[in-house]
Amino acid sequence: MATQVEPPPTVRSGPTRTDGPSAWREKFPGLALPGLIWYAVFTIGPVLAMFVIAMLRWPGMLVDPTFAGFDNFVDVFSDPVFWDALRNSATQIVVGLPIMIVLAFLLAFHVVRKPRGHRVLRFVLFVPALISAPATALMFYSLLNPDGLVNGVLEALGFDGSRAWLADESTALASLIVIDLWAGIGYSAVLLASRLDSVEEEVVQAAMIDGAGNGRLAWGIYWPIARDFIGVVAMLQFLSILFSSAQNVLLLTKGGPGTSTTTLSYLIYQKAFVDADLGYSQAVGLVLFVLGLLGMFCIRRLLRATH
Amino acid sequence: MKKLRLPRISGILAWVYAALLVIPFYYLIVSSFKENDDIFTNPLSLPAVWDTGNYAEAIGNADLVRAIANSVIVTGLALALTLLLAVPAAFALSRATGRAGRMVEATFSLGFLIPTFAALFPTFLLAAATGLFHTRTFLVFLLPATAMPLAVVILTQFMRTIPRELEEAASMDGASTLTVLRHVHLPICVPGIATVVLLCFLSFWNEYLYSLIIIGPDPAQRTIQVALPTLQLTTGTDYGVLMAGTVFTLVPVFLVYALTQRQMQRALVSGAVKG
Repeated sequence: MATQVEPPPTVRSGPTRTDGPSAWREKFPGLALPGLIWYAVFTIGPVLAMFVIAMLRWPGMLVDPTFAGFDNFVDVFSDPVFWDALRNSATQIVVGLPIMIVLAFLLAFHVVRKPRGHRVLRFVLFVPALISAPATALMFYSLLNPDGLVNGVLEALGFDGSRAWLADESTALASLIVIDLWAGIGYSAVLLASRLDSVEEEVVQAAMIDGAGNGRLAWGIYWPIARDFIGVVAMLQFLSILFSSAQNVLLLTKGGPGTSTTTLSYLIYQKAFVDADLGYSQAVGLVLFVLGLLGMFCIRRLLRATH
Repeated sequence: MKKLRLPRISGILAWVYAALLVIPFYYLIVSSFKENDDIFTNPLSLPAVWDTGNYAEAIGNADLVRAIANSVIVTGLALALTLLLAVPAAFALSRATGRAGRMVEATFSLGFLIPTFAALFPTFLLAAATGLFHTRTFLVFLLPATAMPLAVVILTQFMRTIPRELEEAASMDGASTLTVLRHVHLPICVPGIATVVLLCFLSFWNEYLYSLIIIGPDPAQRTIQVALPTLQLTTGTDYGVLMAGTVFTLVPVFLVYALTQRQMQRALVSGAVKG
């Protein structure tokens, strides 16, 4: 700092000039502020607002809301529709997620062993990850309609081919789970394959010399090594099923017949944008939010790294 | 080295699943050229005549060309805004050593764990409050925010790989912060930026529910994902038209995938792993 007294002799004032502000910049990343503020306003803000709205009685956008305390939660928990929705969401996850993860793991295991055609497989497996929810939904809308391809194939095989899969109470939710599986297995498999690719060949060779078959190789070697990562993929798909089920339900069944396909995330949508019961909707939103965090925690515990 | 015997069950499984992925697309494409009768009676046969009437009807009926243009505008502007916010943020975070930097970075990393979908309605309120309700504009503002955690985390990792000496040498020569960012960091970060662009392209282009509630039904504003399902209401059960509309909306995505296959695959994998 003594240099301040006398004017710097020549050009070499650079370091001292930039040192001050640059050191300060390292402590305080000012250029990150716009991004942070943007993120806070558009995503953290609405999440916080959800907590407030859940405490309001607000029957429609044009009505002034009044404070309701926990009344909305009382309404929610005493509403049979909520319990139906909870049961449907739980079914979707408890049935869909394990099947998805196990099949995706087997697929990934297959691809990683580099059999003939594995490049084609890798290319095809990506396809569902590229397609939007409306396009997927419309495709299944036509596949599953009473005169669609699924019934056509069933009829050709000698089965009953007249079922309206999406309009039948006993098959509507199952159809939605099948769509989740169709879309989720490929992408999960690709992700898992990226992890299995890095399993060292020596480990695999050693196991095979010990006489391990493909089953032991898959479940005894690859699964434990990739366990942690399988947990990450499971969390990803868990959130995707839990939250984006609203889109498929909206596009294909509107929650019906009855409440047989009303899921929690669709209930939020329905209460907010169809029934205009905004406090109720956001109370369900909070329940879903908590369930999301809880589920992720459980998956994390269940599939924690063992080594 | 001994050749591995193929895992038989997983092999059968793999090809059955691959067939289940491909057949619907085949069905989708051939149906888009047929009338209902033909779709129902010969679901898997090629169309007798390649009649593009369904396409004309789908495009005219749901105003799909305008919707594609809207999607291009929204996706393009949102992508630009995402980079404009995320690149400087990642630059600052990669150089930050203090507590503030760590806290900001932790906030973005935690962003992956916040299930923001539950907040659909408050977002709708925000759109109404800003007066941008029923416009594409709000979506252009909203989408970058949803992509911010992923973009910042990926780009920060890339920028960390840049040696400090390189940057110090540049500032020694009198280069300003922005010049350093532009001439030192950006060229090295090209692969990271490509990853972010491809991931955001997919998620912005395919975004449905937020677009639906925020933009609403106005054909002049709505994106392709919002326009497509309206065919369900307007054409009812004319499946040929529905399938033609669906094929039409898929073309841009498959074009991009065909052109950037390798990068796209890498992007999708690295993007998910960050979560």
